[in-house]
Amino acid sequence: MSTTMDAAPAVPAAGGSSEMARPSVMRRIMRDKVAGGAALLLTIVVVAALFAEWVAPYDPYAINLLNVMAPPGGEHLLGTDSNGRDILSRLIYGARNTLMLGLVGVIFGGFFGGVLGILAAFYKRLDGWIMRLVDVLLAFPAILIGLSVAAIAGAGLTSVLIALVVATVPDVARVARGAAIGVMEQEFIEAGRALGVSDFTLIWRYLTLNCISTIFVFLTLRFGQIILIGSALSFLGMGAQPPTAELGMMAAQGRDFLFMAPHIATIPSLAIFVIVLCANLLGDAIRDVLDPRLQQ
Amino acid sequence: MTLRRLSLMCVLATGLAAPAGAQTLTLIRNIDAPHYDGVRTTSGATGEILFKTGDTLVALDYDLKTVRPSLASSWEVSPDGTTYTFKLRDDVSFCSGKKFTADDVVYTFERVLNKETRAPFIWRMGPGISVTAKDATTVEYKMSAPFSELLLNLTNFHSTIVNKDSVEALGKDYGVKGMDGTGPYCFQSWEPRNQTIATRNEAYKWGPPVYENRGPAKFQRVVWKIVPEEAARLATMASGQGDMTYTMPDQYLPQLSRLPNMQIHRPEANLQLFYLGFKTTRPNVSDVRVRTALSIAINRQQIVDAIYFGNGIAAETFIHPKAQDYNPDTPKHLGRYDPAEAGRLLDEAGWRMGTDGFRYKDGQKLSLLLYGFAGGRSPKIAEAAQGFWRRIGVDLQLQMWDGTIVFSKLATQEYDMWSISFPYSSAGDALRLYFHSANMPAPNRMNWNDPITDAALNRGLSALDDATRFRAFAEVQDIVHNNALWVPLVHQGLALVSNKRIKNVRAHHVYGSLIYKGLDYAP
Repeated sequence: MSTTMDAAPAVPAAGGSSEMARPSVMRRIMRDKVAGGAALLLTIVVVAALFAEWVAPYDPYAINLLNVMAPPGGEHLLGTDSNGRDILSRLIYGARNTLMLGLVGVIFGGFFGGVLGILAAFYKRLDGWIMRLVDVLLAFPAILIGLSVAAIAGAGLTSVLIALVVATVPDVARVARGAAIGVMEQEFIEAGRALGVSDFTLIWRYLTLNCISTIFVFLTLRFGQIILIGSALSFLGMGAQPPTAELGMMAAQGRDFLFMAPHIATIPSLAIFVIVLCANLLGDAIRDVLDPRLQQ
Repeated sequence: MTLRRLSLMCVLATGLAAPAGAQTLTLIRNIDAPHYDGVRTTSGATGEILFKTGDTLVALDYDLKTVRPSLASSWEVSPDGTTYTFKLRDDVSFCSGKKFTADDVVYTFERVLNKETRAPFIWRMGPGISVTAKDATTVEYKMSAPFSELLLNLTNFHSTIVNKDSVEALGKDYGVKGMDGTGPYCFQSWEPRNQTIATRNEAYKWGPPVYENRGPAKFQRVVWKIVPEEAARLATMASGQGDMTYTMPDQYLPQLSRLPNMQIHRPEANLQLFYLGFKTTRPNVSDVRVRTALSIAINRQQIVDAIYFGNGIAAETFIHPKAQDYNPDTPKHLGRYDPAEAGRLLDEAGWRMGTDGFRYKDGQKLSLLLYGFAGGRSPKIAEAAQGFWRRIGVDLQLQMWDGTIVFSKLATQEYDMWSISFPYSSAGDALRLYFHSANMPAPNRMNWNDPITDAALNRGLSALDDATRFRAFAEVQDIVHNNALWVPLVHQGLALVSNKRIKNVRAHHVYGSLIYKGLDYAP
């Protein structure tokens, strides 16, 4: 038996051995100046959000009804909102929640979607069932899922997270299945099966590791969309509840004062725009570097 | 010139250039009604239209206290206060042309009393009612006990007299596909969530003496247009596409008042309170000292200035001073702003400040959950309260619900506080609705079960003279304020915005409708 294991075929690494001679992934991304700028900006936002307690100039929840809707400048760099709270401080705390929405959506949606897609590709008998389930999920827009979850469980960040994960799963499952089916046609899978390699090893070492870069590239591109959907749900009142700062909700709160104090709505909206743009530019760059098809 | 002013001037210029339909009165509203059958809903949007397409036996004057004749030209009350005999006008007809008689009144009230109708306002009709037609123009309204609020309640839109033939012909579609009333305008069409149109009732000459013009109305048509977006409502009014609205957000009123084609009218009294209520059976708010501390930790004037933009009055009491049976000696301690005293009261109640800035008692944090409406001013006020209470170490969690589900959530026992505003017609009307134990769990969401309060309310409701009624309701006001059952915040101001082309405008406030019948309005 030991000889069988010793004779197991080598599993080719995604991208091939020629990758070893090339510069690191990070260095290749940074060669793209636009992507480098996006990465830098996103890093600043992430660091500020992570260390919000130290970076934010004011308590984001401290109201001051004597100083509502103050324009940007002076004591409050980005002005105050309709309850007299410092917009910059709320923006920093809000970015934390917004980024968390995107990250959790990507991680959990990616995990469950990836598992479903790879299982569908590996076990032909499950393929039809899983893909029909995916079709059903695809039939419901993320906003509708969010509204339904919020109606059942109540509005809040948890409801939005559930909606984002559920909305991400079918897209990832389709991509993962597509990538996995391509790998399944490779000879080393056939060889592994012939040598009696277990299903778990085949799925993890032979299949998943060869699909993971495709899934990762897709998720980096999906990150921006998830943030946008999460912000939209918060804008509709389904997400973060007051006084929690979240960029979509901050934009919604400013909507009522567009004529009088446009900065209350436009500043968080601009922040969403910048985060999504940076995420998309970075995702494009990662795809250019990691996607094996583009490299060929 | 600021961008804001420039954009408004552009909109205004467009409006001045646009020819307006001189004989059409266009009213702008934020939401549509579920239907126009007044006995089956509490919707103010339904009432807004029914006041014009129908009439009630009696009408309410601008002071919101004086009851005037309408379809009933006079009435008598029996010495024991249980029987009202209404003498009806003999010159009234429905829009369909059918003559109005006592049978229509009997049919209307029997329909309200019919359990299948599920009339939400039934409690406003009095106890143990029977209504009979003595002759074609005489109606006898009998109750099992005196009910001092009856006449005031009969001015409400739920008592709009309907035509039996029309109701029976339309069945469940009554108030949807059509209706027949005796009002100054006749229902013509309804496009849900878009517009409703009514045309002048040319035969109308029985308007209540609330108005100088008894009929017919001076406009040929009334069109109610639904404009949900706040900024769009502002633009619609500024451009002259709308003639009147009373659903303009507070923040736009100062701007509108500066426009040359706009004028703002305010009713004599604003009988609409925004308050925060306590569920007294929940442990964290069961102590009156905690409830009082929370009430006095809020600076109401700042809320009026910053959130209402001055369109309201900081509330010291639950009842507006101009409401019927308001007790001027009501304790006013709940309305003052004294955060230091609030802190002292919380200390006294055993809630000590922790190192994290919040108060604790027996290891439990003073954390409260508040339910409220997701739209309008409600979230802003709740956030303001949240900010004020953080200063005294109270953690307020907010859960704002969409209007479609908020009332079902408010009917539960899972929260500590709630926020809401409500219109009322008198002290007795508000007190009976919210503080009588018979109305638990809703609208008596406080779970206030006090036999003394109930007895005083019953005395007031069955009083045969004004002085007795006043004394009884004054006692209730003392009890509910001393027990700090609510945090009174703002007597909400309502503003009727109108285009200057509309003449003789005066704001009413009957159950939140600022236009009422609008009989004096003229192009």
